[in-house]
Amino acid sequence: MIDFSPAEKSVAIEQITRPSLSYWQDAWQRLKKNTRAIISLYIIVFIAFFTLFGPFLWQVDPALQDLNQVSQAPALPKQALLSAAYIQWQRIVIQDFPAEPDSYRDQVYAPKSLRLINMATTQGVRLSWNPVVGAGGYNIYRNERYPEGFNDLGLPLGSTYAGNEIGYEDRLGLEPLTYYYSVVPTDGFDEYEVYSVLTVTPQLTITVDEAKARNLVSDTARPGDVISLEFHPLGTDYLGRDMLARLMEGARVSLFIGIFAPLFFVLFGIAYGGFAGYFGGRLDAVLMRFADFVVALPFLLFMILFKIAFGVGPGESGIIPMLIALVLLSWPATARLVRGQVLQIREQGYIEAARLLGGRDHYLIFRHIIPNTMGVILVTLTFAVPAAIFTEAFLSFIGMGVVPPTPSWGSMCNEGVKTMLSHPHELIFPALLISITVLAFNLLGDGFTEALDSRLRSRE
Amino acid sequence: MLISTKHLTKHFQLGRKQTLHAVDDVNIGIEENATLGLVGESGSGKSTLGKMLTGLLRKTNGEILFRGEPLPDKFTAKDHLYYAKEIQMIFQDPYSSLNPRMTILDIIGEGLRIQGSDHNIRDLVASWLSKVGMDPDHMSRYPHEFSGGQRQRIGIARAMIIEPSFVVCDEPISALDVSVQAQFINLLDELKASLGLTLLFIAHDLSMVRYVSDYMAVMYLGSVIEYGPSDEVFYSPKHPYTRLLIESNPEPDPKLERSRDVIPIKGEITSPINIQSGCRFSDRCPSVKPECRHITPVMTTIDSNHTVACHLYT
Ligand SMILES: Nc1ncnc2c1ncn2[C@@H]1O[C@H](COP(=O)(O)OP(=O)(O)OP(=O)(O)O)[C@@H](O)[C@H]1O
Ligand SMILES: [Mg+2]
Repeated sequence: MIDFSPAEKSVAIEQITRPSLSYWQDAWQRLKKNTRAIISLYIIVFIAFFTLFGPFLWQVDPALQDLNQVSQAPALPKQALLSAAYIQWQRIVIQDFPAEPDSYRDQVYAPKSLRLINMATTQGVRLSWNPVVGAGGYNIYRNERYPEGFNDLGLPLGSTYAGNEIGYEDRLGLEPLTYYYSVVPTDGFDEYEVYSVLTVTPQLTITVDEAKARNLVSDTARPGDVISLEFHPLGTDYLGRDMLARLMEGARVSLFIGIFAPLFFVLFGIAYGGFAGYFGGRLDAVLMRFADFVVALPFLLFMILFKIAFGVGPGESGIIPMLIALVLLSWPATARLVRGQVLQIREQGYIEAARLLGGRDHYLIFRHIIPNTMGVILVTLTFAVPAAIFTEAFLSFIGMGVVPPTPSWGSMCNEGVKTMLSHPHELIFPALLISITVLAFNLLGDGFTEALDSRLRSRE
Repeated sequence: MLISTKHLTKHFQLGRKQTLHAVDDVNIGIEENATLGLVGESGSGKSTLGKMLTGLLRKTNGEILFRGEPLPDKFTAKDHLYYAKEIQMIFQDPYSSLNPRMTILDIIGEGLRIQGSDHNIRDLVASWLSKVGMDPDHMSRYPHEFSGGQRQRIGIARAMIIEPSFVVCDEPISALDVSVQAQFINLLDELKASLGLTLLFIAHDLSMVRYVSDYMAVMYLGSVIEYGPSDEVFYSPKHPYTRLLIESNPEPDPKLERSRDVIPIKGEITSPINIQSGCRFSDRCPSVKPECRHITPVMTTIDSNHTVACHLYT
């Protein structure tokens, strides 16, 4: 009988495992924890969507001028009254009143019963008043606030030169605002210090023909109908062009330069720097000296030279010359960086090991060197994009790059500056888009640097 | 002799007038299935010598014979591919010698892939992982998930998987702690026995080198100054430098260690740049003679196999 038997060996080893992550998976996990970078990523995706698909969703011709709504601030859709075609204004001259006063007077009365003839519309405001005894003519003023005194009558619109001409039509840039018209009698030359004021709010109107031409109404529409005008969610610019459509169109230019210039010069820089670094020696020294030379070239001067070389005259858009100038002058930074990386990686043991195992140059480059420089390249690329967008905006702003009428964010800023004080939205929107895009790319680049870098540190 | 060198020299041209003598006129040979231990201070040119033997570094002068045939002067990718099955190397730094973007499977299987082997790479890698004492399940992991010692094993598996005949082990144990060092030496011994390996074992720890190697070469500033069977060099060192090196080796027994009076090697290692004629150790040698300063000593035979380059023995 057996009393004892060996105890069964059962060792349950507690296993703590986590999935094995590749470099990129790990970097992505790190990036996901970086709230700023993720928000930036969403913003960039949104801007890409805005640029690529925006024009399909918002099908407004960015070049179309909406003259009813010029320099319109962002607002809800506006209503307008349909009106018949414009009828020539007939001057109002009464017969039973002297055109010139028979004698000079020190004082006259202010014009009485200043009134509107017809309805006040943005097509025209027609005024009339009772003749003033002793007047030899009248001056008409318009103000946007109630005049505080004789010196605050506002914009002088015009004059009549007879005491019996008692009507005036104002067609000067009327907007659906409240205006204060003042009429001042004169002796034919000088004004008497009396005036009457009429408060007028013109109705926004559009002629039937124009509305039909712009496809705003059907054929059955008749004068008197109220219709909706074109909707400009972000307002219009000083020529009445839709800001949203122009921002979308402008984004194409800005992002085209912003994406393609870095793409080309980073690719070239990688090839150049990689070649110099991998083969090293005297070739490397010569190549890098040339890169130093290119760094020393003044960018603006070359921009001008390229425009001339491409036959782009002043006042014409030079998107392609700008792209070429950017690519030709910006690659050395990338080339240096990649060269440094390659020089460092080239000395790593795994390259020697792969060489010993019989790996050829292209195997070493594609299997070992490029994967190990990808992180740095990605970071360079994300920082190069905002720099290029900013350069484009700057060049267009100073009139060296894209010029009107082609919209780009920079050229829109340039146009917006002119109306900055009266209609700030024309400057604010493109400037805001430039800032947000540049900031988003920079924060994303920071995120990439951190995500990829700390990973490199944990390797040690 | 499986591999031997004749007047092997490597000079690095630092400037127009500065030449760094990393390896100077080295003549060594390794018998088939033998292990040569190469010891020397840091900077004495051990790695440079090892890399020249593998063809990774181009020699300045001299000749390397492998199975009696001279190795090409400058290795092309084709030469490396041809010799890959013969000559491999285990690298000194276990951190930089593994590509951080590749899985262990890809790293160890790299040689097989490049060679276009028709083996099942996965199975072979798994078997080698267990041979070097690692879990084959860790195949899909990345190098940063392993310790220095584990990485060194991965490096061994990468070199050994294509079953070379000659392997340069460049201080494979210096990154490991002592307990793992012994395991490691045993692993190398097993592999050596099962594969019929010839090894060049580089280290600066003399006692370990004595244990693993049949022959021992002592390097100083690019030259081999003493060469002979391991035990003989270790127990009856001839060159004053070897003696100092062995004496400075700590005794495992603390009592003995405390009672021992160690004469430390005085002075700094001489600069390897623009070396003049004369014994390279003469600045620090306790028994320096006038001729040491201007006549370069040549290797002289003491016993059948034991040679030394020192004026004390001429
Ligand atoms: N590529 C190089 N260019 C210039 N000098 C070099 C180069 N590689 C090595 N050296 C020099 O050659 C000498 C020998 O270096 P080596 O790496 O062979 O030393 P080592 O004996 O392996 O040292 P350690 O024990 O620290 O590994 C050193 O002085 C080093 O500075
Ligand atoms: Mg070394």
